[in-house]
Amino acid sequence: MHAQATTLSRAARWLTLWAAALLLAGCGTLIPQTVALRTDWPQGVPRQVELASVPFFPQDEYQCGPAALAMAMDYSGASIRPEALVDEVWLPSRHGSLQLEMLAAPRRHGLVSYRLAPSYTDVLREIAAGHPVVILQDAGLVFTQWHYAVVNGFDYATGTIYLRSGKQARQEMPFSYFERTWRAGNYWAMVVLPPDRIAATANEDRWMESLLGLARGDQPEATVTAYRTALARWPDNLPAAVGLANHLHDQGKLDEAAGVLHAALQRHPDSVVLLNNLAQTLSDQGRNAEALFVIRRADATQSPFASEIRATRQLIEERLRSPGS
Amino acid sequence: MSLAFKKTTCRVLVVSLLALSFQTARAGLIGADQAAGTTVPTERAMVLSTLDRADVAAQLRAAGVDPQDARARVQNMTDQEVHAMAQDIQAAPAGGDVSAWGWLAIILVVVLIWYYAVRK
Repeated sequence: MHAQATTLSRAARWLTLWAAALLLAGCGTLIPQTVALRTDWPQGVPRQVELASVPFFPQDEYQCGPAALAMAMDYSGASIRPEALVDEVWLPSRHGSLQLEMLAAPRRHGLVSYRLAPSYTDVLREIAAGHPVVILQDAGLVFTQWHYAVVNGFDYATGTIYLRSGKQARQEMPFSYFERTWRAGNYWAMVVLPPDRIAATANEDRWMESLLGLARGDQPEATVTAYRTALARWPDNLPAAVGLANHLHDQGKLDEAAGVLHAALQRHPDSVVLLNNLAQTLSDQGRNAEALFVIRRADATQSPFASEIRATRQLIEERLRSPGS
Repeated sequence: MSLAFKKTTCRVLVVSLLALSFQTARAGLIGADQAAGTTVPTERAMVLSTLDRADVAAQLRAAGVDPQDARARVQNMTDQEVHAMAQDIQAAPAGGDVSAWGWLAIILVVVLIWYYAVRK
């Protein structure tokens, strides 16, 4: 009995020592981005920000997804509560919400959702720009427990992140601990913005992907605004011009659509997409002679859009043959 | 009728139903999504995308989502997102809740250690 106890206690001591060593050694590698932040605070980001006016919706059981998303969406002007989002993001059998659905849902309400790069500094930049960030973290102590929360502030001096999470309106977490929980989900983070704003850390191509998602929904006004905003920021962006013109065309604003396409053609004179769509638009306005002139500029034979161009040209020629149809 | 046959039939029906809406979404206009890529999405890619959407919608329904809602939820995802979803829906993290299980486990372990160490 006594021998057993000694062995057990010796084993326990070794275990503790080993665990402590492992923990200390592992600390730095567990939180690489926090370590980097200590010496490399991102330029232009203030040392302390707190977006106090982000609303707080305490979550119901398992429904941190709807709660977190509602906070971000409401702050962007959607006037929404978590209950309304349950049918949009919650999966009954998994008792939770999937990340891709979190990204898709705001689009149904005319908002742009954008997944950030897996970077601590990007999160800080977004908050500094006034955009609360929805994050996925492993909030479990022993078992993995995925959880969504909203980051709405930080303080460099004390090394603290502020979150609206679960039932806590203001949860304070050390930078390091936050990174540990956030890293488990591959640093997943997203922002939700009204269509006339662009994320502070937006990458042009990925932003356009987000707009494609918005465009799939039933929000024409928001889509037009979003494309317009993107085109203003990136005047050379072809999909933005095409998307904007197409949606204006949908709304019957053919003059404006043609104007957008003309302007884009100044920058991309050889784009068959622009030529095709401009020709179509002009034809729809009854300006078929001009339309024919434009479509001829498109080199139909080589392009992957050859069939569309041919079809457009045939339509124009038909309309020229029988005006008034 | 075997399950595989039923599934195939379903897919054929889905594709043929949707084939009508396949050409550029608007009369004669090439879409922004086609303008975006460096490669033009082939018809095969479009078909696969439709199947992916149907697949994801079905999986959502199987997970307890109302059929109307399932369709709406898939509608707002881009082709890329739907494709990723189709692969991943079972295994992907589902953010839910911070429950009490973690604490219970720790308490249990502590109690066990106490029982064996102190009791002796």
